[in-house]
Amino acid sequence: MDETVAEYIRRTVLKIPRDEIKTTLQKWGFLSETQLQTVNFRQLKDSISQDVVHLCEENSADIKQAADLDVVYNHVYPNKRMWSVYQMNKTGEETDFFDIKDFKKKFKRRLRSALKNVTINFREYEDNAIWIRIAWGTPYTKPNQYKASYVVYHSQVPYVFISASVLKSNVPLLCQALLVACNYHDIREMELRGHCLNSLKDIVFKRYSQNFQTYCPRPLPEKSVTPVSEDLRVVQENRREKERILRVNREAFGDGPQPKLEFAQYKLETMFKSDPKMDVLYKKEPFRCLVKFSSPHLLESLKSLAAAGVADAPLSPLLTCIPHKARNYFRVKDRKSLLTGSFVSP
Amino acid sequence: GVFAHLEALEAQAYEAALKQEELQQQEEKLARLKARVRELRLQRDALRAKVDLQEKGQLGKEGAVLDKAQPSAQDGLERKIKSMKAMLQIFYLTGISGKLTKQGVCFCISTAYEGTYLDSYYLDLLIKPQVQIYRHSVPIFIPLEQIARKHLQTDIRRFVSVVSDHLNAYAGRRYQADQLQEHFSDQIEGTLQRNSLCNLLVFSYHVSSESKTLVFNVRLLYGDLCCSLPTEVIVSCTPDAPAYLAETAAAHSDLFRRVALHKAFRSISSAGEKAD
Repeated sequence: MDETVAEYIRRTVLKIPRDEIKTTLQKWGFLSETQLQTVNFRQLKDSISQDVVHLCEENSADIKQAADLDVVYNHVYPNKRMWSVYQMNKTGEETDFFDIKDFKKKFKRRLRSALKNVTINFREYEDNAIWIRIAWGTPYTKPNQYKASYVVYHSQVPYVFISASVLKSNVPLLCQALLVACNYHDIREMELRGHCLNSLKDIVFKRYSQNFQTYCPRPLPEKSVTPVSEDLRVVQENRREKERILRVNREAFGDGPQPKLEFAQYKLETMFKSDPKMDVLYKKEPFRCLVKFSSPHLLESLKSLAAAGVADAPLSPLLTCIPHKARNYFRVKDRKSLLTGSFVSP
Repeated sequence: GVFAHLEALEAQAYEAALKQEELQQQEEKLARLKARVRELRLQRDALRAKVDLQEKGQLGKEGAVLDKAQPSAQDGLERKIKSMKAMLQIFYLTGISGKLTKQGVCFCISTAYEGTYLDSYYLDLLIKPQVQIYRHSVPIFIPLEQIARKHLQTDIRRFVSVVSDHLNAYAGRRYQADQLQEHFSDQIEGTLQRNSLCNLLVFSYHVSSESKTLVFNVRLLYGDLCCSLPTEVIVSCTPDAPAYLAETAAAHSDLFRRVALHKAFRSISSAGEKAD
């Protein structure tokens, strides 16, 4: 077995939390159960990874199989990467009979016709998700396995999730190969980025909770909630206001959990409005300002702002429209043309 | 003695089991009949609503003739709302229900396949300035925009109906594929190749008969997205298979074209058992 392959496997195993190493290797499926039984998964990770490398040597693992382990690892821990969402368009209206074998063939052929030194791995999952891992080389060097790009594509869906490596120059080639394989005409990057892959999927696949009105609305829980203090001397002065806030929040955010985003960025190109007497910014120029909201879970925190008394309800539509517009980068202009524009890199 | 006693107990238990089975069968029969009654009642109500609507429709036409002298934007809107309410009445019991909202109407399309209720999807429409989709929960691989381009502006009822057909057919195809994987996994060789729309299924299956195992490869193509049966079926055998298998393959192919996938498999596997 190649030295580089051994080293790559060793480093990949080291990334996995110790308690998960066995299950991850089982998902990989390259080492047999009997082989895995011989490893003591309670020792130090360094020793575990050495044992795993020896077992892989027994099975003469090659780089493709080692790369497959990397795909498994990234599928279990997708949130360690930053994902961008791309949207594809096609003009024809023919039904797409997506055949995975066809897709893989076309993708590999297109990529390899432009660049011979690439390592391409595919893995399919139950939810129709196809994971593609591409390690890029140059006409003169072998592929760099440590800077691979990852693509997640669901069949017959006009969206692709790409976690590009540092080598951004390969993205156009990657997009071309995707267009050919998926049978679309053009592809563009959306203004939607984040670490939580499932939440990005929820947003563009419209799987998040939207408050649809139906004939049988569930009874509002507020009315039947027993007050925390039964003391009749305590009176809720603003009970109506609290109920209004809850209702408005519900309309804006729905009932269920929100998709997980870490930030929303607003580039303001609006005019600064001040009292003319104050003589601030007498130049009639847009006030350049970038507002960035960050949070471990942005939408949930926005949802709780009004109830916590920190903001007025209803919240600005600039904030509540994020899942609906499927974007977290905005360019805000003055009244006439509302939310437009694309992400401008800093 | 003891044995006699044990025998007596055994006989009692057997009789109790028989009675239990009888009871269960009766209950099942009752449940089936009740469901049938419900179905028929629904049909009757739907027909009644249709008749009512036709009557109202006739009145409406006369009313419109009188008003033609002074058409106004307000009238147009009122007419739209009236036709919307009429649609809601008809569709309520056919798996499509709706609720008028401040800006338009929100439809709920419930899917079902052969008596099993499956997922529900929502379409929130705006009426003014023109009919458009405000938001929805339709799966992203259903060609919603395509259908909207064809029908949304001209005939809302047709639009909702076509979307419902797509969703019901998709739900049916997915249900069949899921049932196949769940109940017949031991007859399937390797993995079942499918896709998001479940409109292409490729897999291999084996049938045991006369103590031999015959392997078939099948490719099911569902060309009509509003249909839950395949439009194209190719069943083939391994190249070294005996010639008479071509007949079996043709029979299977015909079966897959006419019958739901999991039901087809049920009859294939039971046919195999009979031949043994």
